[in-house]
Amino acid sequence: MKRRDMKQEVEKELLEDFEQIRNIISENREKTGALIRVLEQTQELISYLPPQVLEVISKDLKIPLSEVYGVVSFYNFFTMVPKGKYTIEVCMGTACHVRGNPRNLDALRKEFGIEIGETTKDGKFSLDIIRCFGCCGLSPIVRVGGDLYRRVNPTKLKRILTQYE
Amino acid sequence: MKRLESVDALKKWTDEIRADMLVCESKARVIVHMGTCGIAAGAEAILDSFLKEIEAKRIDAIVSQSACIGLCNWEPVVTVIHPRNGRVIYKELVPEQVPRIVEQHLQGGKAVEEWVMDETMPFFTLQVRRILANQDIDPMRIEEYIARDGYHGLAKALTEMSREEVIEEVSKSGLRGRGGAGFPCGRKWMAAYRAQDNVKYIICNADEGDPGAYMNRSVLEGNPHSVIEGMTIGGYAIGARQGFIYVRAEYPLAVETLNHAAAQAREHRLLGKNILGTGFEFDIDIFLGAGAFVCGESTALTLSIEGKRGMPKTLPRPRTTEVGLLGKPTVLNNVETFSSIPLIILKGASWYKEVGTESSTGTKTFCLVGKVSNSGLVEVPLGIPMSQIVLDMGGGPPEGKKFKAVQIGGPSGGCIPREHLSVSVDYQSISKLGAIMGSGGLVVLDEDTCMVDTARYFLQFTKDESCGQCIPCRVGIPRMLDILNKITEGKGSMEDLDTLEELGEMIVATSLCGLGNTAPNPVLTALRYFRDEFEAHIIDKKCPAAVCQTLFRAPCQHVCPVELDVPGYIALIKEGKFEDAYNLIRQRLPFPSICGRICHHPCEAKCRRGQVDDPLAIKHLKRFVTDWALEHEVEYTPQLKGGKKEKIAIIGAGPAGLSAAYDLTREGYQVTVFESLPVAGGMVMVGVPRYRLAKELIGKEIEAIKKMGVEIKLNSKIEDINALFDQGYNAVFIATGAHKGLRLNIPGEDLDSIYQCVEFLRRINLGEEVKLGKKVIVIGGGNVAMDAARSALRLGSEVKIVCLESSKEMPAWEWEIDETLEEGISIIHSRGPRRILSTDGKVSGLEVMEVRAVFDDEGRFNPTFYEDKISVIEGDTIILAIGQSPDTSFIKEVGGIELARRGWIIADPRTLATKKKGVFAGGDVVTGPKSVVEAVAAGQRAACSIKRYLESEELAPRVEREDERTFEIPLLVEEVEEQSRVTVSNVEPSQRKSSFCEVTLSYTEEQAREEARRCLRCDLEV
Repeated sequence: MKRRDMKQEVEKELLEDFEQIRNIISENREKTGALIRVLEQTQELISYLPPQVLEVISKDLKIPLSEVYGVVSFYNFFTMVPKGKYTIEVCMGTACHVRGNPRNLDALRKEFGIEIGETTKDGKFSLDIIRCFGCCGLSPIVRVGGDLYRRVNPTKLKRILTQYE
Repeated sequence: MKRLESVDALKKWTDEIRADMLVCESKARVIVHMGTCGIAAGAEAILDSFLKEIEAKRIDAIVSQSACIGLCNWEPVVTVIHPRNGRVIYKELVPEQVPRIVEQHLQGGKAVEEWVMDETMPFFTLQVRRILANQDIDPMRIEEYIARDGYHGLAKALTEMSREEVIEEVSKSGLRGRGGAGFPCGRKWMAAYRAQDNVKYIICNADEGDPGAYMNRSVLEGNPHSVIEGMTIGGYAIGARQGFIYVRAEYPLAVETLNHAAAQAREHRLLGKNILGTGFEFDIDIFLGAGAFVCGESTALTLSIEGKRGMPKTLPRPRTTEVGLLGKPTVLNNVETFSSIPLIILKGASWYKEVGTESSTGTKTFCLVGKVSNSGLVEVPLGIPMSQIVLDMGGGPPEGKKFKAVQIGGPSGGCIPREHLSVSVDYQSISKLGAIMGSGGLVVLDEDTCMVDTARYFLQFTKDESCGQCIPCRVGIPRMLDILNKITEGKGSMEDLDTLEELGEMIVATSLCGLGNTAPNPVLTALRYFRDEFEAHIIDKKCPAAVCQTLFRAPCQHVCPVELDVPGYIALIKEGKFEDAYNLIRQRLPFPSICGRICHHPCEAKCRRGQVDDPLAIKHLKRFVTDWALEHEVEYTPQLKGGKKEKIAIIGAGPAGLSAAYDLTREGYQVTVFESLPVAGGMVMVGVPRYRLAKELIGKEIEAIKKMGVEIKLNSKIEDINALFDQGYNAVFIATGAHKGLRLNIPGEDLDSIYQCVEFLRRINLGEEVKLGKKVIVIGGGNVAMDAARSALRLGSEVKIVCLESSKEMPAWEWEIDETLEEGISIIHSRGPRRILSTDGKVSGLEVMEVRAVFDDEGRFNPTFYEDKISVIEGDTIILAIGQSPDTSFIKEVGGIELARRGWIIADPRTLATKKKGVFAGGDVVTGPKSVVEAVAAGQRAACSIKRYLESEELAPRVEREDERTFEIPLLVEEVEEQSRVTVSNVEPSQRKSSFCEVTLSYTEEQAREEARRCLRCDLEV
């Protein structure tokens, strides 16, 4: 597909969202640190930040696109790549590291054949690491689709993932 | 909605709230603790259960929620307050337990004791909860905060104190920033106060980026108003009208709670315009972080709030208190710092200083996590020894694992090893050890943690989080990481360690911001205190904790001192190929029968199956195979290489000596072993009792060695090593062990009926008659003491063991202690021998003193006693089992071989070479008493070194082994289902006491194959 066609495809999908995104921008325009607030709330809405959206934000907030991109690429939270239906987040905090999450991460990598930051071909699961959930007392922790699971090992993980359709 | 237009209005409302609460105090109350962890552990279902039950039974009880109270280990937890019996905490609840609690406790007024938390534990009693005192209130109800004097501090500050007085009070309290650096809070506020600008800002750093720290999260979720109040007081003091709370986005519950709290505060005129009618205006905006650790740095944080990339400002730069957010004077403090402010204003600086040290006043919250039994959020006075937090409150590592270090200060901090664990937890003392206090995360590490891997982990983190501006951090940290990766892959060199130190120190000195300044700390402290682990990775290509996966396949094989192919022979057992399994073991181990019975099995400690259910019974499987081989008369014939002309003399026919003989003979050398006793086998033959290891088995394995052509000369004590060289031997290996017992040096020690344990056991094993009295006292807490006690029991005496250690501290292996107690032998703990009593020249008892402590602050063996707490243990025979020493009197100093104190031979730990050319030493005579497999490993190492020496090669630290998987070992692995270990059975204790027959029974063939099926085949990982 030509690049222009792809662009139009994405834009069609996002048409309704654009209305809401414009609202987010106008609500936050006057606040301190408006750009980051807008990016956060926009990503919360559509789960990622495609280039078209960044262009809109850049124009509306009158911030150069390069600066917008600079902020998006700096912070771990922002992603320009769509996430899967469920995001699997493996905590890489010290307590979780020491209590076995590296093995859980390896097991997930092998099981789905994807690297950190990638999504499975069927779009079901994305794999990410989180620096620390702050639930160290329950380590090792893995979060799937927003649900926190504690004291996880590769066997338990397999069982947990089957619950996600 | 109550708009509080004045302080009086606040006071009046407070009284009303308290009156309401008083009424409720006649009712039972349930508080379900629902912090993020509680919810993850299932607290929502518990809450539902309680609501349903209470409604169904129509009980007039109150159910409320709060955030977490810090009992992470025991989530979900619930507090129940009953007018008749006060407050208890229920732990680890499941919904099924709720009906009984409702009926018995809420209705009946009687707590369900077996489910209640034991609050007499040091975990509770050593805490001083000030910041965490309000964690049990409902954070969504401002009334509950106000009832606890909430916002009264603000009221006092606004109406009774001038701005200078507020700052003065904070300064006097000595409060230091709780974010990590510990900068005096009062001084910071004063600088901002003095700045001339009518726009100023107050920022709360709630980014809490340190992995392993969640103290701030708990306060934000549980007591958000304390932070709001603290910031408002700060705003008043310095002259700011706008505050920001920078919260990390990974804390969604905290964000929600803060927003709700701020909204409520505004409604009540405690925030926003005209606060409490005083005309003071201050509001708070909540800003979400976006996942950047570096934004915990003050200038990066302010830039982030401005919507920019969080890249710290270059130096030189003005202080944030002069030029901060949007160029205005800004005070940036941590959550806990702000949370302390209302308390200081209300109760005064003097109250605050009542705990803590002189320069580190007050309390600090800590998250005690990692390999610790009681993990949780605690608050302690500064100045408390770290050991009290980690060992007393935390209970040390679970499952009996050995403590290794505690990491403090996260990626900017360092590790503190056992010998420094008594350090006072205050800002200066911690930094003296090379670490920093940090925000409060304490991660406990145990014997299964690799310090090299941990150092690498932290560098990986700081490398990812580096903003990239300055070269030391951007380039230096990845370089250090590369070196660490090399080391964990077994490709490091000793020079790398110097490079790491040099690089680290340079990065610390020249980085632009705190991230770079402190990133090397974890590596530098690991090098400082655990250099031996780095050396093991580099020189031995071993990871002692069996973590660095690139160095090995199966952890069991890796930590075995002789690197036995454990997965290989277990796979063969599973297939019923017992003869192959036996031969596979014999290729590497000349004494499998012995190891199958008395090895201390370090392999099992690292078995990965242990993370699923139980570790494999590796030792027992080995025993099964050796018994089977014996029964079926399997003979292993080792391949012998061509005859070499050199002759080697080995002094001592113990496991070390004979293993060396075995390997050297296979290489083709002529070996003669000189043994002073009338039997060969060393400590295994004359020290280990028959009920642990039948002597016939040793005899058979020694016969096999003799069949190879090894000459063993019994009753041949060597007096002069030089003479051996004169006789034509080309090399000598000294492996004489440690067969002397240590003396106590107390009065009465030379009476009759007092035996040295080693001598006692030797006489029994040699078949000599030993006459013991009726009441035997064994002094000692190690395995040898257990051996002596159980042997004495079998000779017909009544036996008591006395040792210095408490039951937790006893060095004897747990299973040995269990079997000893089963046989009816009592152990008297924590008593030290003072003198031996006698009547008519015969032993009548042992006078003992109570032990105060066995180990000193540095964890070294250094017993101290209560000299006045004396008691007597009756007995007519005493056996001393307090330690062993070698008899190396035959080594004359002039020979060039150095001896340590008590006579241990000094030899290179890896090549086993002594200072005298051609003379090598290993086993117990060098290391002190160790296990049999370590002696075998020493023998093999000696053989390797001697071979290199004789072939004029350089002595190298690595032992060369051929890859010997010559058997068809199956590659199939089955699905992992949970299944505990097949039980190893012992003979009934009542039957054991009167005979020296072996205590442990062997597996049957079916049992062995079933147990072998549990092996995860870690060696097959691709």
